[in-house]
Amino acid sequence: MPDMTLKPKTPLNGYSETFGATVLEEIAGMGLVSIATPRGGVDALQGAVQSAYGCALPPTGSSTIGNDGAIRLMGLQPGQVFALFAYDGDTAVTEIEKALGDNGYYTDQSDSWAMLHLSGSAAIDALARICPLDLDASVFPDGTVARTVMEHMGVIVLREGTDGFLLMAARSSAANFLHAVEQSVRNVT
Amino acid sequence: MSQRMRINGGIVDRSKPLSFEFDGKQLQGFAGDTLASALLANDIRFVGRSFKYHRPRGIFTAGPEEPNALVQLRRGPYQEPNTRATVAELYDGLHAASQNYRGSLNFDLMAVNDLFAPFLSAGFYYKTFMWPQAFWEKVYEPAIRASAGLGRLSGKDDPDIYDKGFLHCDILVIGAGPAGLMAALTAGRSGARVILADEDFAPGGRLNAETHEINGGDAQGWTASVLSELKSLPNVRLMKRTTVYGAYDHGVYGALEKSTDHLPMSGGKPRQILWRIYSKRAVLCAGATERSIAFGNNDRPGVMLAGAVRAYANRWGVAPGRNVAIFTNNDDGWRTATDLAAKGVSIAAVIDTRSGAAPADVAGATIAMGASIVDTKGRKGISAVTLSNGTTVPVDCLAVSGGWSPNVHLTCHQRGRPDWADEIAAFVPGKDLPVGMSVAGAAKGALTLAACLQEGAKAGAQAAQDLGLTASMAEIPEASDEASAITPFWHVTESKGRAWIDLQNDVTAKDVQLAKREGYRSVELLKRYTTLGMATDQGKTANVLGLAVLAEASGKSIPETGTTIFRPPYTPVPIAAFAGRSRGKDFRPTRLTPGHEWAAEQGAVFVEAGMWLRGQWFPKPGETHWRESVDREVLATRKSVGICDVTTLGKIDVQGRDAAEFLNKVYANGFAKLPVGKVRYGLMLREDGMVMDDGTTARLSENHFVMTTTTANAVGVFRHMEFCRQCLWPDLDVHLISATEQFAQYAVAGPNARKLLQKIVDPEFDISNDAFPFMGCGEITVCGGTPARLFRISFSGELAYEIAVPSRYGDGLIRALMAAGEEFDAVPYGTEALSVMRIEKGHPAGNELNGQTTARDMGMGRMVSKKKDSIGSILSERPELNREDGLALVGFRPVDRARQLKSGAHFIPKGKTPSLENDEGWMTSVAYSPTLGHSIGLGFIKRGSDRLGETIVAADPIRGESIEVEIVSPHFFDPEGERVRA
Repeated sequence: MPDMTLKPKTPLNGYSETFGATVLEEIAGMGLVSIATPRGGVDALQGAVQSAYGCALPPTGSSTIGNDGAIRLMGLQPGQVFALFAYDGDTAVTEIEKALGDNGYYTDQSDSWAMLHLSGSAAIDALARICPLDLDASVFPDGTVARTVMEHMGVIVLREGTDGFLLMAARSSAANFLHAVEQSVRNVT
Repeated sequence: MSQRMRINGGIVDRSKPLSFEFDGKQLQGFAGDTLASALLANDIRFVGRSFKYHRPRGIFTAGPEEPNALVQLRRGPYQEPNTRATVAELYDGLHAASQNYRGSLNFDLMAVNDLFAPFLSAGFYYKTFMWPQAFWEKVYEPAIRASAGLGRLSGKDDPDIYDKGFLHCDILVIGAGPAGLMAALTAGRSGARVILADEDFAPGGRLNAETHEINGGDAQGWTASVLSELKSLPNVRLMKRTTVYGAYDHGVYGALEKSTDHLPMSGGKPRQILWRIYSKRAVLCAGATERSIAFGNNDRPGVMLAGAVRAYANRWGVAPGRNVAIFTNNDDGWRTATDLAAKGVSIAAVIDTRSGAAPADVAGATIAMGASIVDTKGRKGISAVTLSNGTTVPVDCLAVSGGWSPNVHLTCHQRGRPDWADEIAAFVPGKDLPVGMSVAGAAKGALTLAACLQEGAKAGAQAAQDLGLTASMAEIPEASDEASAITPFWHVTESKGRAWIDLQNDVTAKDVQLAKREGYRSVELLKRYTTLGMATDQGKTANVLGLAVLAEASGKSIPETGTTIFRPPYTPVPIAAFAGRSRGKDFRPTRLTPGHEWAAEQGAVFVEAGMWLRGQWFPKPGETHWRESVDREVLATRKSVGICDVTTLGKIDVQGRDAAEFLNKVYANGFAKLPVGKVRYGLMLREDGMVMDDGTTARLSENHFVMTTTTANAVGVFRHMEFCRQCLWPDLDVHLISATEQFAQYAVAGPNARKLLQKIVDPEFDISNDAFPFMGCGEITVCGGTPARLFRISFSGELAYEIAVPSRYGDGLIRALMAAGEEFDAVPYGTEALSVMRIEKGHPAGNELNGQTTARDMGMGRMVSKKKDSIGSILSERPELNREDGLALVGFRPVDRARQLKSGAHFIPKGKTPSLENDEGWMTSVAYSPTLGHSIGLGFIKRGSDRLGETIVAADPIRGESIEVEIVSPHFFDPEGERVRA
């Protein structure tokens, strides 16, 4: 019997590429858990989040950072936030459960999304080729999060800093999504 | 060849000569030239043949409105027909060719059409190609197609790439002429996010083409200083070579940026970008277009619009003629005379239809007030004009001005109608503008420079103020209001020669009059009947003139006659730009399962299922037909064990205190009492009682379920459930999230499925039949601690499981399963084998769940629980859906077992003709069953369950086959279900 230990694979095999002053790379090693607010339980969840992470539950479209930067909560829809944190294990939900107890409904999304980080001077111009959202800092400042569609693929966009964006797209079409973003960067650099 | 018509001045860069080729001749121009200005500089005026009569035609305008000078640019696969020479920016090595002739441009065999002109009048298609009817397809249409069209496509794939994009701004300023520059400057200084888009490569609009003064200096200097300020403002984006072609809902505008059309090669970058611009306000400063006057033979090369003639002289330093006459009904036409005279070009005559004193002195020119031109001479270029007073004046260029029409197009893109303004004899924007749009400058009918500057500044400030910004009116630059008086004059009725209105479509004043006589009084009908205003220029120089002639013929005013509707695009947009990157495999995304790479390594043949690629079968060396592979996969699975990637099934995570109640409402059968650790088959109905989808749902804990849906309906079911949750029962505590992407899932089926799994499931989990019975489920670990979910469910009819691991382990798991299965001769099986096995078991799938069938039709009527309410339950009780002779899903096998069944065949009683009234149902799914050794089918037939054993005909008239089939139970294989519980 061969060694049966299962080896994990990331959606984009660790892709990383530099285009002048613009960098596009896969982000791996993150836990991503959706937290749904039980009906009537928003205060309890809020309290649990505050005491566990020291930050507030973000309203839809924005994010908050807890535990001195160790976790980011992203408000994705009424009653649903995604928790994003550095985590290499297989049971991300357990990590959240440990912190928040039974104050939310948790679903592991760590393997559902391919994550790309795009940063640098051409980031906004590149995204303008596929992203219908207005990413100008005046309307999409640091920490803003949104769901949108790029090239027919559902995408979650998070702005990190002045010219950095975390892009999350379905794992199954990760290769197509990478192609779409990469082509956009090539078209403007 | 020297540029012998080049004169002093202009904004071309004489230090940068460019070589180009036209119809095989090597020529030179300068940076800043258009192809048209460079051709004129080289004294080439005859550049194409007209559409219908193949008459020689020259360059008529200096802008996007050009009807005549259409050329083919570039070569090989890059070839692009019907390009306007007047907007094609010259680059070194440009290759251009004239088009629309047989033979050569000079000796066009098709010019014979011109002799038949009396037979080719308006509507000649409809009158001529009537008889005999059979000739239409065989003779007329091919002949028309062969002679129609202008240029030719290369017939090869376009090697260039195209892109799209999205831009956002507070204020979009359309057009960078004097009004647009002032609007952008005022809005930009207020801090608003401004986009200034201009179709030209040199912003400035008419300022580039006139000899105006602003603030006491030349207008070009002022333009340069404004542009430099705009470029310094970080909130202003200046987009050259960008045509805003359409105004859409909610302040959205379409724009085409020609990024590399001015370069010899695009260098791997997109050639053109189709922008969608989201604006809060838009200021339309699109300027105005000059129009002609209808008189005899007014189409010869050398006959040009007066504004264009002086644009060539002023902007490009090119004299369109050596001896120029001007024919005008307004003061602006006189500017051409004075500007050209000032540059030393000889003016032969100025003919003004208005009587009274001449508005200006033009040295050496014959001045004819209250006169007109009745005819011209010169076949391949104008050589003389004949005046209404009988005199003939030799000329080589005739500049015509019938007045200026504001470019109201974008104001009408949402069905707005323009108003007629008598004082400029033209249509101006009406009151119903697209939301957020204002209009300034010549586009609004303000045809003088001072008015344009003033209006632009005002509109820019107003737009900024509307958005809550503080806008100070920029200091309005000083300029004068030049003379622009006009007395409408459209048509020299005493002309005997053909008086052309629409040069692109060869429509004459006579055609318009004829159409009117034949009853085409509506301007929309006139357009379709005569083709006036169609094709690439959309009648920019012709429409108002055509209307005027129609009005004249009907004895009505122009506003009473009305205009045709303006629709996007304003100027032609290549289909390639609309397609953008959506070419070939980039047309839509492809979804791959985590096991895809492994399947590809096995040589799997993939099939598209929705956007997924699924392994259809896994051919082994030596297998030459797909059936060999599929039969082998089925037999091996039934004999020992097979593994199938079922990741693509939709997975929905359902949590909440009311999750069970929620599922009880969306599923027709009961779910409230499903124990933890159990899976149940669920049937989902639409509100109308028809089956929507089916699948299994597992209860992982008291408040946590995971549902599977069919691959095809995954998105639709999720959407339906979100609707139910948010809109129907908002009081329930239930939350949904898709988990389709989270897990890789494999079916492991066959008598040895458990033995195989026991090798990889960690030993602390007991999956024996007692501990983990049929329809059990649980969270386990595999391969030394990897978390997994195990479901004991079966689609194949075998002892079977589905095992799910986080997607990152999907590749590892399939490899581990296959390795563990080696001792059992485990096979991977694809969707074909899956389908064969489910048909053998009589399980319905997509073919049966086609939206027209009910649970009762499927033989699952009793699953629709009446102990509770669920979606579709009530309407499934409709009498029509419960007829005694209703459809039932049953199995079919050929009476002659050697024959193949066909899905889609209809069931007809023996001895009856295949017709609608004898139709009793249809075959939904068929397969060759390697287990049974013959073809089997599933299908719906009236009263099916009462007719087991009956023989009937499966008629397939389309494929010309009818075979006798026997009605049998749909459960061909293991009808008692002993194997799944083994």
